[in-house]
Amino acid sequence: MDASVTGIQEPFDLIRLSLSERVFVKLRGDRQLTGILHAYDGHMNLIMSDVEETIMLVDPEGATNGRSVINVAKRKMEMLFVRGDGVILVSPPART
Amino acid sequence: MDESPRPPSDQSPPPPPPAQSHTGSPTDFLKGVVGKRVIVRLTSGVDYKGVLSCLDGFMNIALEQTEEHVNGVITNRYGDSFIRGNNVLYISAAEEI
Amino acid sequence: MASQILPLELIDRCIGSKIWVIMKSEREFTGTLLGFDDYVNIVLEDVTEFETTPQGVKKTALAQTLLNGSNIAMLVPGSNGPEDS
Repeated sequence: MDASVTGIQEPFDLIRLSLSERVFVKLRGDRQLTGILHAYDGHMNLIMSDVEETIMLVDPEGATNGRSVINVAKRKMEMLFVRGDGVILVSPPART
Repeated sequence: MDESPRPPSDQSPPPPPPAQSHTGSPTDFLKGVVGKRVIVRLTSGVDYKGVLSCLDGFMNIALEQTEEHVNGVITNRYGDSFIRGNNVLYISAAEEI
Repeated sequence: MASQILPLELIDRCIGSKIWVIMKSEREFTGTLLGFDDYVNIVLEDVTEFETTPQGVKKTALAQTLLNGSNIAMLVPGSNGPEDS
């Protein structure tokens, strides 16, 4: 069985194995985070530290042949609580 | 005269609720698709293609070898990914199950 | 008198038949109904997805597919979908 190879029986195992690791988080509203994962719960509320947030700002005015102009804003936070309902995807670092 | 319509069954009790274990139920589908290549489409229209590791009752999903597709273009790759179930529109088999 | 048939009993009788699924958003699916559960999560086979955009209707063919019930608005039993009506 595949699960025995990866040690993942349920999706949250993936998150549990990523504690204290740097993770990538995709949020609603074209936001992305990378940071160290410190805590999570069943809602996918997260506590992260050393966070860099990337916000994609699509400018429909500057749209040319279907390719909109995208402005990227970045900022850093030392410690962050993320409300779970905004989370789309969490990707842990590559397993070795 | 034998062609009369079926008598209404208004005397008999209503049939029981749908059987829980008819084949083809969501649970059966998911049992068949774990370990296989799938396409997960989110309500936003973004697709994630990869190997389904596992999922839970919220439709939270763990995928391996994940490719993120936006408008048919690969925009990201993740070794593993956790997808929160509320965003999931559907899970579709991408190989024979 | 209470209704003789529960809504999901009607859907249960459609297993093996074509069904048209209309989502809360501008998205529709047709296919053969294989099964469903109490949340109205639905398994379809030989699926066509219809996405209505300002550019027109985009069609996608899919194999066996589990639709998340939380996004489903309506089910039309026995229908081949938007191109049928």
